[in-house]
Amino acid sequence: MEALSSALDFSDFPRLDMIIAGVLGGLLVIFPATPHSAFAMATMIQFLMFSLYGMGWNTIGGYGGQVDLGKAQYVGIGAFTTAVLMVRWDVPFWVSMPIGVCFAVIWSFIIGYPLFRLKGHYFAIATIATSLVLKDIFEVWDFVGAACGIEISPIKYNPPDFLHLIFKEDIYYYYVILGFFFLGILYVNWFRKSRLGFQLRSIKDNEEVAKSLGINVHWAKIKTYAIATSFVSVVGSFHACYIKNIEPEDTMSLDISILIALMAMLGGAGSLWGPIIGAGVLIPLKSYLKEWLGARAGLIGIDLIVYGAIIMLVSAVEPRGIWGIVEKVRRRKRN
Amino acid sequence: MDILVSSLFAGLLIGMVLAMVALGLTIIFGVMEIVNFAHGEFLMVGMYTGLLTAQATGMEPLLTLPVAAAAGFLLGIICYFGFVKFVIRGPMVAQLLGTFGLMIFLRNLALLFFGAEDRAIHQGILVGKSFNIGMGVIAPATKLAAAALSVIAFWAVWLVINRTKIGKALTATSLNPQGARYMGISTERMNALAWGIGGGTVTIAGALLVNFWSVNPFIGLLFTMIAFAIVALGGFGSVSGAFFAGLAVGVITEIPGIWDFLTYIFNFGWMADVPMTSLKYMWVYLAYFVIMIVRPRGLFGWKR
Repeated sequence: MEALSSALDFSDFPRLDMIIAGVLGGLLVIFPATPHSAFAMATMIQFLMFSLYGMGWNTIGGYGGQVDLGKAQYVGIGAFTTAVLMVRWDVPFWVSMPIGVCFAVIWSFIIGYPLFRLKGHYFAIATIATSLVLKDIFEVWDFVGAACGIEISPIKYNPPDFLHLIFKEDIYYYYVILGFFFLGILYVNWFRKSRLGFQLRSIKDNEEVAKSLGINVHWAKIKTYAIATSFVSVVGSFHACYIKNIEPEDTMSLDISILIALMAMLGGAGSLWGPIIGAGVLIPLKSYLKEWLGARAGLIGIDLIVYGAIIMLVSAVEPRGIWGIVEKVRRRKRN
Repeated sequence: MDILVSSLFAGLLIGMVLAMVALGLTIIFGVMEIVNFAHGEFLMVGMYTGLLTAQATGMEPLLTLPVAAAAGFLLGIICYFGFVKFVIRGPMVAQLLGTFGLMIFLRNLALLFFGAEDRAIHQGILVGKSFNIGMGVIAPATKLAAAALSVIAFWAVWLVINRTKIGKALTATSLNPQGARYMGISTERMNALAWGIGGGTVTIAGALLVNFWSVNPFIGLLFTMIAFAIVALGGFGSVSGAFFAGLAVGVITEIPGIWDFLTYIFNFGWMADVPMTSLKYMWVYLAYFVIMIVRPRGLFGWKR
């Protein structure tokens, strides 16, 4: 009960923020009622999914300061668990999703225990290495469809099927992921004020001091890593039901891991709204650039050139992201 | 037995080129503690430079090395002054993602200009020739030449770093930037030089590699990861470590051949079913992970 009231308590933000957040949240709820193209709908679903990925990354990467560039492996674990269970044994989404989370968390403990002995660059590259190892294994593993991936055939089901999450219209998917989105915000809001959240921030500031205060640094990192992992795995399961045709190459590639970290950084790592702002800027930009410059103008890769240039620009000019700029302006106003 | 010997031999040959690939990464890391994700993309630039110069002028592909080296040196310097200089002031996340942005930028620039298809060199006096060394080892002439030239280039860079004044200044900066600054060594100039040498050496490796390895815009990431594994094994910042680690990682990439040999010896049915060839590079990633956990300093490392 106490956790719930803490999760619902946003009072440490200025009133202006809450009004803006409330209005934007309301707009998200009524978005499907407004006239929109199918492309806009797909982009919005992508936006919600990636904000959730970003929120997950933000717990360990933002509040904890551990740069994790291997989140895609958990997208893969979640997606493949759901897809395999559904195709082979017809298991509903709401059962296979927790199973996927369990697998992902177990895997995160297995690799997290040795991983968190590393710091900084070494940690970041090691997470990439584990992610690529898992991807290579999935690409040759016949049980999960090897490199061709696995396809959920919607013909077997009778849409709208709320148990298996098989729908014809994107609007159902939109509301399911929107529900997860709001739950995610509440969870992170609770997390940042919880004991673990404070421990993590002290680890980020100074690990030696945190250790001397009696915090079990290694264990705190592993726990948070598992939390981040479950976020990513849940959305991975959703991804399997939404896309229906998943391959190791597009669920587990390094680009996904980087995109997840990048969104949190662009919005402002270590803040509640950061990943959402980052996803809100980056995902529409990415998909519309691809649509306009890539597909229409016939210039292959030009969308990604612009995207790469944006990454370089952000990291060179304002590494603390959009939220960092907002806070800087506020601080100046106060003084 | 033949298959084991020829796998090991092939591994050592490719390892000499891979050591050259990793050399630039370890120099850059040693001097300024920044991990360059775009390293493999530099290699790709070197491969395209070698290939296009050879095709445009019709000269022997192995003679394009100076062109590739000059292109890489310039690219490194431009990247440093145009971009890296601004990133190193920021937090580590920004450095990692920033060089990753550089990687995406270069990769897709290549895609835009050269298209997605594989390209390979089909000309030159060495193409198609091979030597039978004995014990079943057949070495393609292009690989032998590439390995030999890699070793020579590696040795030359080693000499520059260990025997010349400017190399000593570089080493001084990597050991203690502040102390080096007191001695009148400009850190900024040394950083730029490290990026220039890093870019130049990796493009040389690319121009050598393209003689027997086809190139496409997406080839970079694989070599970035291989170079990370080599640098981790040799020790971050260690030049001579990179050479021996390169040989070791070269042998690791030939694990499928060694596996075939073991399958032949032990004759277990399940061993033949393992799709080893598809898992070829997984061993490199795994090796990186294990090295980092077991011995983060690497074999010859002094930096932690």
